[in-house]
Amino acid sequence: MAEAIQKKLNTELEKYTQMQKDVSKSMSARQKLETQLAENNIVKEELDILDSANTVYKLIGPVLVKQDLDEAKATVTKRLEYINGEIQRYDTLLKDLEKKSDQHRQLLSSLQQEFQKAQGLAVGKV
Amino acid sequence: MIKNEKSEINMEDPGGVTRLREEHEKVVKDCERRIQHWEKVSGDYDALKERLKTLPDRLSYDIMVPFGPMAFMPGKLVHSNEVTVLLGDNWFAKCSAKQAEKIVDHRMKYVKNELCGLSKTMTNFETRVGMVKDWENMVTEKGDYVDIREVIGKNDATVTKGKRRVAHRPNSKPKLETVLDLEEENEGSGEDAQQNGSTKSFMTQEELWARLDELEKIEELQNEQDSLSDSADIGSEDTSSSSSEDRNDTDSPTASNGLFVKSHINAPPSGEMKEDDEEDHSLPTIYFSHTVEPKKVRINTSKNTTLKFSERKELKEHSKRKKKNGHQNGHAHHEVHKIQTPADIYRLFVDVRNGEPVPKKSILKSRSRENSVCSDTSEGSAADMDERRMMGRSFSHDESTPSDNSDSLTEEDSTKGMPSHPAGKFEAFSGTVVEKDSMPLAVPFLTISPPALPTIMERKLEEVAVPDVEAPQQPVKRVSKFKAARMQQK
Repeated sequence: MAEAIQKKLNTELEKYTQMQKDVSKSMSARQKLETQLAENNIVKEELDILDSANTVYKLIGPVLVKQDLDEAKATVTKRLEYINGEIQRYDTLLKDLEKKSDQHRQLLSSLQQEFQKAQGLAVGKV
Repeated sequence: MIKNEKSEINMEDPGGVTRLREEHEKVVKDCERRIQHWEKVSGDYDALKERLKTLPDRLSYDIMVPFGPMAFMPGKLVHSNEVTVLLGDNWFAKCSAKQAEKIVDHRMKYVKNELCGLSKTMTNFETRVGMVKDWENMVTEKGDYVDIREVIGKNDATVTKGKRRVAHRPNSKPKLETVLDLEEENEGSGEDAQQNGSTKSFMTQEELWARLDELEKIEELQNEQDSLSDSADIGSEDTSSSSSEDRNDTDSPTASNGLFVKSHINAPPSGEMKEDDEEDHSLPTIYFSHTVEPKKVRINTSKNTTLKFSERKELKEHSKRKKKNGHQNGHAHHEVHKIQTPADIYRLFVDVRNGEPVPKKSILKSRSRENSVCSDTSEGSAADMDERRMMGRSFSHDESTPSDNSDSLTEEDSTKGMPSHPAGKFEAFSGTVVEKDSMPLAVPFLTISPPALPTIMERKLEEVAVPDVEAPQQPVKRVSKFKAARMQQK
């Protein structure tokens, strides 16, 4: 009885830790996205400062690729949109994960109680 | 932040408070670190801005160009007004020094914003740290602010709850049982049991009871003496109030006993029983002796025993003792004081049916009781009714046969409206009752027993008790049920 519960508890615990890992991963990803958003915002603002005479380069791998200013601006805005979308996606994902982890935590606590009870019973029997 | 808030909520113990403080301090330190970083960045930007300002001043610069990590090479910086700026996210822009300056300004703005926010959060958390320190002081009661009320209230609540649940209940329950057991023991085996009361806690109660018993005895003796001294006067007064025939019949045997004479006040029971009572138990007060007597009579009649008068008397005594012993464990001295409390009266008037006390009708109202019994079905069973009717009839028979007093009596009866009691017709009878099958039992009783005493009793019941109909019942009603129950348990 107690052993079975312990087994289940262990598996659930593993799942829970995995979930926590996911949560932290998505959290860090979201943070990265936040910084990228800030960076891109800055880039966009600074691109606004530049005028058409300036040449804009994009570093792709080891080389700087010359880009048109308007094109650059468009890509940056696109990039911003993408980042915002990503952030929203991560937000919902995080909420979902939080809920799941909460439920899992409850399950875990109940399992733990059961396990303790079973343990106590086993001890009492012995 | 969120984590800190949570910890703030959960902080009750000093350890938690210290942890909260540590967290807040950590946040403050983090803020400081970041502020330092941003300060450095802003300093760098300041230097860069200076450089960008001065850079386009000359067309070319002789500089030492870093050549790998170790070596520098003499070189020349040309295109002094041409700068490639990393905008971020791998975006580069070739721009003039002037534009670069603008970009630097823009970035400086951002840095300043960052710095401002960081300093704000830092001050916020610094105040929090101070608050938490205050809390810490409160909890450890080192500081000036000590919230005593909260702590004491919590302690009180928990303590009282625990006491009530753990200590009080188990104490109170076994108490009753043990006390009862002890009391029973005492009555069974005498005072030795009292001395040997098992638990100390109950000893005090036992002693108290013993003391009470003693006091009651003393009081009783005093009462007896008083009653004896007063007996003559009372007797004369009472008998004068009653009819002359009564006096002739009853006073002669009863006058000698002050007690019995006293008992006349309410209702005179049979004299011989009185004497016996006094000899045995010395009943001091009127109500008690009186209430006891009629009950006995009733019991006899209910049994439908046909006995000689002397036998009846014995039986009455016997039944009386039995009745008393039923409640107590048959100790004469117990009986004596038993009857002194209202609870005893109550007990006399109470039948225990199905384990719960059912009040009897006052025996003083033997006449009126018949009436009430007829109407009041809840009071007693049909058997009781029959018994009581029987009793009434037998009495009336007694009266009708030997004396003419029954005339007045029957008149009273008729005025009361007792259709079931045909006492008036009994005058014409020769002493036999035809009404019921059970009556033949009573008939020999009539013939055998000396009629004088029962008649007197009956008449007196009528004459004296009728005005006082409510009087004897009131004490019964007033007895606290708790006390009565306690005495019964005893």
